[in-house]
Amino acid sequence: MNFRFPRACLSSGLMLVLLTFLVEPSAHAVPSFARQTGMACEACHTVWPELTHFGRVFKANGYTLDNLKQVRGVTVQREEILSLASLPPLSLMVQVAYTQLATPLPDSSGVGNSQNGTASFPQQISLFYAGKIAPHAGAFIQLTYGNDSGTLGIDNTDIRFAGLQVLPGDQSLIYGVSLNNNPTVQDLWNTTPAFGFPYATSNIAPGAAVSTQIDGARGQDVAGLSFYAFWNESFYGELGAYRSAKQATAGPLDSASAGGVVSGIAPYWRLAYEHNWGRHSLEAGLYGAKFKIFPDLAASDGAGYGQVLKGPTDDFQDVAQDLQYQYMGDKNLFSVTATRIHEKQTYSATALALGINTVGADLTTFRAAATYYYKRKFGGTVGYFSTTGGAALYNPADPANEMPASLSLTRADTQGWMAEINYVPWLNTKFSIQYTGFNKFQGLSSNYDGTGRNARDNNTLYLLGWLSY
Amino acid sequence: MRNVMLLSAGLLLILCAGAVFADEVVDPEVVAHAERLAVGTCGTCHGVKGVSKQPKFPRLAGQNPAYLAAQMKAFRSQQRGDPDAIGYMWGMSASLEDSTIEALAAYYAVQTAVGASVASDGASVARGREIYEKGIEAAGVPACSACHGPDAHGIADFPRLAGQHAQYVMKQLASFQNNMRNVAVMHGVAQALKVDEMRSVAVFLETLP
Ligand code: HEC
Ligand code: HEC
Repeated sequence: MNFRFPRACLSSGLMLVLLTFLVEPSAHAVPSFARQTGMACEACHTVWPELTHFGRVFKANGYTLDNLKQVRGVTVQREEILSLASLPPLSLMVQVAYTQLATPLPDSSGVGNSQNGTASFPQQISLFYAGKIAPHAGAFIQLTYGNDSGTLGIDNTDIRFAGLQVLPGDQSLIYGVSLNNNPTVQDLWNTTPAFGFPYATSNIAPGAAVSTQIDGARGQDVAGLSFYAFWNESFYGELGAYRSAKQATAGPLDSASAGGVVSGIAPYWRLAYEHNWGRHSLEAGLYGAKFKIFPDLAASDGAGYGQVLKGPTDDFQDVAQDLQYQYMGDKNLFSVTATRIHEKQTYSATALALGINTVGADLTTFRAAATYYYKRKFGGTVGYFSTTGGAALYNPADPANEMPASLSLTRADTQGWMAEINYVPWLNTKFSIQYTGFNKFQGLSSNYDGTGRNARDNNTLYLLGWLSY
Repeated sequence: MRNVMLLSAGLLLILCAGAVFADEVVDPEVVAHAERLAVGTCGTCHGVKGVSKQPKFPRLAGQNPAYLAAQMKAFRSQQRGDPDAIGYMWGMSASLEDSTIEALAAYYAVQTAVGASVASDGASVARGREIYEKGIEAAGVPACSACHGPDAHGIADFPRLAGQHAQYVMKQLASFQNNMRNVAVMHGVAQALKVDEMRSVAVFLETLP
């Protein structure tokens, strides 16, 4: 590793000290779910955003548990037709960050380097409505301002309706439906992409250029309805369907819609089993989706492409496994999460447009992380990530261009590890120092971009102050 | 035969009358509300019928109703205050009305208690039984059975302890000792208990039906 620390250390230290002063110490600062339920964060989270068993059940139940004074409406039969909390369950989340790369990125002019050491203030500010909206319905709605977009936009959203049935033999059945905008945002475990580790990363540092569809690629780009059942708080099954729902456009989707358009609906499925004993919780599961996409070739390739949202599609079949273990002691908390996603890609539409035979590829992502916390105050995570194979059509020399003129079969391998140290002075405030090391970046460990840049030049030191109120 | 039938009919009548009488006292609406709460809200932690699976959450099934009601009120008035009580139960109980509390207590009292586990450590169980039945004279620890009953099913307003999670019992004893759960009687009892004695008696109690 050719990382020289002194300056980074100094600035990081300064930053932490600064942050500590900027944050108002308030022991009663608890975000909206806590406000609504009257329970401290620890009921639902080991350390947020990781959920405990109770947190998972609370989510499955539609975020409806509440303890606030309600404004009620009932029919003559005393049927509940309105139940509004006297205070709306709102929250604010702020992330401020500082990113330092091992070697600065090239300047956009092509001459020299960009500045290294980037402050993000904020990296992200989010407003949440998180809580009950009606007797059996609740929502988690996130609006985010990001320094990358420079605008306020919709972020992860999950609106659900849930019911609970006690079956003979004291078995319980929770069932419901979720309307959401990111496959796996509705999931209950911290193994799946939307709420999996890493919970926050720098938006300045270079990251893997390709990902499977279910791994965030369609976040806020689709809308889906999924039906789920959670039997005895252990067996979980879910079936859903997603359709394109683009942002920053209101008109009907057409060949120019960025990122491609889902043909019909994309099915989503999930199976999981959770076993809890004593202070332990173990989950193993499967999930997947199939996306048939009309690529947005017209936009990048001009007249070359004759098909407009019809004919063959580019197909992505995702099948994933996941595993989670949690130990919750009074002082020591420990958890392990892992997932492996395999995607089978078949580029029929693209091949037709290029006048070649259909090409296919496999893309596999694996992520695992182990987290330890002492008294929910001091903790750390070590993680491994890798994406290998696939993305046959990806041209590494031109990362911005999804549709290269010539078919390059370069592999998309990106692989490395992460280590994070966290300090949680109050349950709603977290300071993290995160280090990401790359063994391979976009297929190669050295000279991956043809200009002599090595994978480890992208090694990243990331300081984060994260608070929710 | 006829007599038996008459007798049964008479009994049935009395029982029904009792049921009707009970209904007059307790508003069925409140009972239904409490049941919904117990299943849908409290059940997630305490089990739908009060038999929780996780040791952090006490079992409520078969517990003495007067004790249950008193505890819910103690949470509500923020008097029972160890960290778990504050983190979980202060909020949970904040908006419970007295009538709901009574109905919840009645709901749990009639559920069937289930022993939590069969302990593997025989020596510890034996030591626990000894403390439970005889106390520790040298240290001035009274016999628990005097107040909690020989079978640990509770007496009058003294709570049932049989089948309770050992982890929960241990933590309560520690909280009585350091007064985070401030109850004079149990502070006196727990004052001189050492950690391994707490563990023994807790493990013993967990094995009781
Ligand atoms: C999120 C989990 C959670 C929920 C939901 C919850 N409780 Fe509790 N409850 C706890 C915990 C934890 C304790 C133990 C507190 C302690 O250790 O002092 C407890 C303790 C109790 C006790 C004291 C038992 C004893 O043996 O002293 C009663 C009574 C109780 N809860 C009733 C309820 C009722 C009624 C509800 C629903 C309105 C409810 N709880 C909902 C977590 C929960
Ligand atoms: C003089 C009577 C008395 C004796 C003796 C006694 N207890 Fe208690 N115990 C009580 C009372 C009263 C309570 C209820 C306290 C409250 O109201 O919060 C209680 C509560 C408890 C609880 C909390 C139960 C719960 O569900 O939270 C535990 C555990 C307990 N006792 C264990 C013991 C043990 C172990 C011993 C023997 C070493 C013992 N007690 C001896 C009177 C007694």
